[in-house]
Amino acid sequence: MVAGARQGTPGDAVVGVVPRLVLEPASVAEAAEALGALARDRLAVTFVGGRTEIELGSPPAALDAVVRTGRLGRLVEHAPSDQIATVEAGMPLAELQRLLAPHHQRLALDPPRAELATLGGVVASNAFGPRRHRFGGARDVVIGMTFVRADGTPAKGGGKVVKNVAGFDVPRLLVGSLGTLALITTVTVRLHPLPEAERCVLFAGLGPAEAQELVAQAKGAQLEPSSVAALTSDGALDIAFRFEGFAPGTAEQCGRLLSLAGKLRRSAELLDDGAARGFWARHDAVRTGGSLRVKIATPPAALVPIASGPLQRMLRSALSSGAAVLYPTVGIAFASGDPTSAEEASRAVAEARAALAALGGSLVLDAAPPAVRALADVWGPPPPSLAIMRRLKDELDPDHRLSPGRFVGGI
Amino acid sequence: MSSSSAAAGGDLVRRMAAVVGRAQCISDPSGLLVYECDGLTHGRTRPGLVVLPGSTGEVVEVVKLAREAGLPIVPRGAGTGLSGGARPVPGCIVVGLSRMNRILAVDLENGAARVQPGVTNLDVSRAVASAGFYYAPDPSSQSVCTIGGNVAENSGGAHCLKYGFTVNHVLAARLVLDGGEVVDLGGSAPDTPGYDLLAVLVGSEGMLGIVTEVTLRLLRKPEATRTFFATFPSTDEAGAAVSGIIAAGILPAAIEMMDRLAIVAAKAATGLDWPDVGAALLMDADGPLAEVEHVAKRAVEIAQSVGALEIRIPRDEAERQLMWKGRKSAFAAVGRISPNYMVEDGVIPRSEIARVLRDIEALAREARLRVANVFHAGDGNLHPLVLYDARVPGEEERAAWVGREILRLCVRYGGSITGEHGVGAEKVEAMADMFGEADLDTMSRVRCAFDGLARFNPGKVFPTPRLCGERPGPYVPHPAEITGQAERW
Repeated sequence: MVAGARQGTPGDAVVGVVPRLVLEPASVAEAAEALGALARDRLAVTFVGGRTEIELGSPPAALDAVVRTGRLGRLVEHAPSDQIATVEAGMPLAELQRLLAPHHQRLALDPPRAELATLGGVVASNAFGPRRHRFGGARDVVIGMTFVRADGTPAKGGGKVVKNVAGFDVPRLLVGSLGTLALITTVTVRLHPLPEAERCVLFAGLGPAEAQELVAQAKGAQLEPSSVAALTSDGALDIAFRFEGFAPGTAEQCGRLLSLAGKLRRSAELLDDGAARGFWARHDAVRTGGSLRVKIATPPAALVPIASGPLQRMLRSALSSGAAVLYPTVGIAFASGDPTSAEEASRAVAEARAALAALGGSLVLDAAPPAVRALADVWGPPPPSLAIMRRLKDELDPDHRLSPGRFVGGI
Repeated sequence: MSSSSAAAGGDLVRRMAAVVGRAQCISDPSGLLVYECDGLTHGRTRPGLVVLPGSTGEVVEVVKLAREAGLPIVPRGAGTGLSGGARPVPGCIVVGLSRMNRILAVDLENGAARVQPGVTNLDVSRAVASAGFYYAPDPSSQSVCTIGGNVAENSGGAHCLKYGFTVNHVLAARLVLDGGEVVDLGGSAPDTPGYDLLAVLVGSEGMLGIVTEVTLRLLRKPEATRTFFATFPSTDEAGAAVSGIIAAGILPAAIEMMDRLAIVAAKAATGLDWPDVGAALLMDADGPLAEVEHVAKRAVEIAQSVGALEIRIPRDEAERQLMWKGRKSAFAAVGRISPNYMVEDGVIPRSEIARVLRDIEALAREARLRVANVFHAGDGNLHPLVLYDARVPGEEERAAWVGREILRLCVRYGGSITGEHGVGAEKVEAMADMFGEADLDTMSRVRCAFDGLARFNPGKVFPTPRLCGERPGPYVPHPAEITGQAERW
């Protein structure tokens, strides 16, 4: 038995697989020691943060131990004037934001459930929220990392400055790798100023063609929202544009968007704070609700057509009380609900995948009950570069002990 | 096949010529001369052969022939790199991508352009300018440097403070691997399932394979741009202005600093009527009009509050372009005030600018040389230009010493040995100042996943040569450990 380990319980399960052991290292050094010990015993291990994305990926093919990052919760460094911070992987995102706020700064990553989601988990699962439109995803704000390799070797990549091209960008490679290459122990991120003002304009009940036109017009008008998100359950789209920045700029942009609404003969409203919070709460509910959640990615201009086609049919036939969030400028949508039946759900997934394949898009099961997993692959067809991915896995985790089988193509 | 610096054998030349055409196959010594170095002109090595393929298919055949001959491959774009990233190794095959210079497709609806690697950076923006779009990364060499080279070096530029680097603007790439396999990474849709191989390809300095197509993100041009030029008594006040502007929550599109010597040089080269002052800032703010006007006004107030001597606001776009020309020509301009110079590229935390500049000044004094500083102040990316006269014995060595010490300073202050020029051949030793053995070994393993024979662009990035699969075997426990009689931990 590895020193300091406790027995695993059903609460520690990773997609239904209960680990024998659970380790909770309290420092980066302890994490390295733990991985070294697991390597010595040739044990398979999955890394767990706040469990907000634990459902992403296939069940591990082997799981002896879970390493939880909850005690790696320190802020290592915050340099406000350099707009960077280094945090241990187990710190919840919301806690980091609370530490940054007095300095009028934030990390521009806004996945739902920030109270639970840890920095390491957000980065490893490439989680994101509506502000991705302006600020990009984890790969765009992560500038450095320390990590522990499968054999227990601590290593690092990147650095503490935003502009840095020294060596291969291993940190960006670990973004979205779902703990299959290394244990992320600290993350260094680029920060952004907290905006002075935030305003939201809502267009309710648009048809797909109108929504498409609106998004194109707003782009053509050189407006620069920080988020563009649409909610739908019955085919009609409620689209919100959020503007963040200095007060005169956000006010002027809202005004121009509202006048654009007039030209398109659509009504739009400037939301007060309460109404805006309401919209984003609905958004979060779709992103986190239901036992089946799918993520759809398309070239941006193809998203609304997909949403009004295969995605709409999925909401109607395969999900009870299903709803979807669209990020039409990013090209990503999430649909969630409870499957009417595993067969219906897998049929709808297959139909959407067929349509997406023609566009170079993808559909990934973000969360799914076992019955649906039995019929539909979590990741869908692997990308053409799978052979390189397998070699990368062999190079960094030669014994395939880090979350084996969880990732794309059975990696 | 000779492995020395001799030109490639006749048989290989014939076979390569059959693939790319005789005219695109350079093996005579005078023709090879151009390819002995890139923008870093000291440290020349003659390649065995240069081939200029015209398509992905030809690249595949060239790579296969090189593999059969057991020769390393050095990919090359326009050869404008400043770190020796395209420097040949003895006997190698240089694969020049300059003929593959077509823009293959523009998709404005999705904000994307698919281009060949030999297209110049500026040509991408030019091709979509009339539709109101542009390609954001803007290295100073953008009128000549190629997209393939930008991908290899993860090029930045003045405006990457707000818009990010090449890695933030590449959506997909087609890559020819060592065995001649053609693989597409990324795609026009975001978040392709699997590892983000594209993220590590960008900035891999041509060591993973040859990129033969790139899909770039195009941005809608901002509604408005406001520019100002501010002068200061010294770099201390200019540095304080940069810190103040950033602390006010402003994210300029670009904020550039020049010191006294750089200003003198830029004036000499361009005839700009800039005053003789200790330091100058050139700042761009861009975005929606009302936001930009507010931000520019605030930034000017901040500059004045910390002691700006003069603020100049360009009357029109022509004058704005002229100001930027002064900045972008500063490297070459230094040639007007010194027979020779070396360009350094390092990064420091922005808040340390004033201290680091004083340390650099001290190094220059110690070496009895002058250093001009031109840099991207917003992100702490220094470009010290070490001036020397190669005719004076010892000066070149002293200049090199100053360059190396500046990089050490950058690391000591928590920065980086390169912000945008790359490690190339020049900074392989400095890599060991920044990264430990385990860090470098991790990078090497990544390389081996792409190029198991380590044949693409050898001698770059890593301080010591590395081969794939050359490492201690897996840990094997002693029998006593298995029986529980001994423990390793």
